[in-house]
Amino acid sequence: MDSEKTRKERTLSEDPERRPEVKRLQSRQPSPPVATGSEAQGITIEGLSAFYGSFKAVTDASMNIQANKVTALIGPSGCGKSTFLRCLNRMHEVIPGARAEGCVRLGDQDIYAKGSDPVKIRQRVGMVFQKPNPFSKSIYENVAWGARINGYRGNMDELVERSLRQAAIWDEVKDRLKESGMGLSGGQQQRLCIARTLAVEPEVILMDEPASALDPVSTQKIEDTMEELKKRYTVVIVTHNMQQAARISDYTGFFYIEHMGDPGRLWEFDATDKIFSNPERKETEDYVTGRFG
Amino acid sequence: MPRETFQHELDRLVGEIISLGREVEACLGMMVEAMEGHDAGVASRELGIDQRFKERGAEIDEECMILQARQAPVARDLRLIYTIQAVTNHLVRSGTLCEHICRAIAETADCERDPELETALLEMARGARDLFGQGLNVFEDRDIDRARDLEALDDKIDLLYSEAMNLVVNPTNSDGSPEWRMRAALTVHYLERIADHGVDVGGRTVFLVTGERMESAMRQYRERHLDDDED
Ligand SMILES: Nc1ncnc2c1ncn2[C@@H]1O[C@H](COP(=O)(O)OP(=O)(O)OP(=O)(O)O)[C@@H](O)[C@H]1O
Ligand SMILES: [Mg+2]
Repeated sequence: MDSEKTRKERTLSEDPERRPEVKRLQSRQPSPPVATGSEAQGITIEGLSAFYGSFKAVTDASMNIQANKVTALIGPSGCGKSTFLRCLNRMHEVIPGARAEGCVRLGDQDIYAKGSDPVKIRQRVGMVFQKPNPFSKSIYENVAWGARINGYRGNMDELVERSLRQAAIWDEVKDRLKESGMGLSGGQQQRLCIARTLAVEPEVILMDEPASALDPVSTQKIEDTMEELKKRYTVVIVTHNMQQAARISDYTGFFYIEHMGDPGRLWEFDATDKIFSNPERKETEDYVTGRFG
Repeated sequence: MPRETFQHELDRLVGEIISLGREVEACLGMMVEAMEGHDAGVASRELGIDQRFKERGAEIDEECMILQARQAPVARDLRLIYTIQAVTNHLVRSGTLCEHICRAIAETADCERDPELETALLEMARGARDLFGQGLNVFEDRDIDRARDLEALDDKIDLLYSEAMNLVVNPTNSDGSPEWRMRAALTVHYLERIADHGVDVGGRTVFLVTGERMESAMRQYRERHLDDDED
């Protein structure tokens, strides 16, 4: 009687249908992030759930985000990609009533541990949003501002130039640094915002659909920066553009809601090559081929 | 809606290569018939198929390229387009080889033949035709279980190949004009290639269905069946 129960419990927890994020094919999945010599850190997420009040938006997501790699998050609208992303730098909890459960480790630091400072975390894990949101200040000040309030004491001109170069916008703005950031085109504004994020010298950069409002050429410029950025940083990007995810990312996580009203789940997580050529799960395949529902 | 059109396009292309494949198969049938009857007339009727098949192959290729440009296929769609192009190539090449053989039959119809070598040739030709047809069946039905049978059939062709080659090099009699023997040696080689194309069409189907290369897919498949047996 007893032993039978034990067996049943074991089968349930091992049933891959019930635990989609425990993948059957382990081969190309990243192992826990390790320091790679550079300063970038990976992120380990274990059993993360996110709530808005009593509404559970994401349930039990686990994933290893590799340092110095680009990880793309894809999935249908409302499945919790942005929510998940915001949990990675404690931005989620700024919404009244919102909270997260589970474990998120940046390198070996538990960012939700008692006593960990969300402001410090957000400095180490920067964020670029969907709509470019430059301040109504000069281009120079847009970049310098965040670094300054974070107490940067080095050579500010150098930092501004370096950040603008890494964001692949230096050549376009170097002669007009004193002009307002608001006067730039949408694509330039977005790269300015990336530069602003970089100036704080984070280890991880989170991007929520950073190119969704941009034309292909501006999008290409943002994507080009990605190759450069991952040399120094760990990048996590939410995108609805499948080809963009396929082009720029090393790993891809697919979020999915099976039944209306359920919380979003991390349905499949694997090397990008695998997700876009031969995904394990039917729902992933239906989604990436655009034959959803 | 565009995705529905895309699906229709893919279905149409698959239908197109199956009908192309069946035509190549029919030509292989005529080739065997011409060999059996030493019939230069039948063989000559097949001359020109190469050009026709190549043109259709080029059209399919072009359509695949446009679909890739417009639809940016991934996952099973990507595997399907890749497979369509690869299978088309196997079919067209088999057609080319078939025409080479038919030309040889037509041009050597009056030559003196070595009956022993001829028997081996005929057996190989029937085997190659069958294997090609079965490869096409595997693709049409996406029946990867039967892809394994192709390899067994191909082993038989390979055996006939070495027998025939042995007869070319070490004839047991003095029959067969030099011209005929030379053409026979080439034909043996072409038939072996046709059989390989048939096996490859099956292998491509395995990739299409499983996303794995033939070998590792077959290994996984066998292991899965071992697991099933244990239950
Ligand atoms: N501030 C909020 N208050 C309450 N519920 C929210 C809030 N923000 C998001 N949600 C809900 O949480 C769920 C996940 O939303 P989220 O924005 O994370 O989805 P998403 O995957 O980013 O979607 P999209 O692709 O449309 O950006 C949705 O059901 C959404 O309605
Ligand atoms: Mg979102």
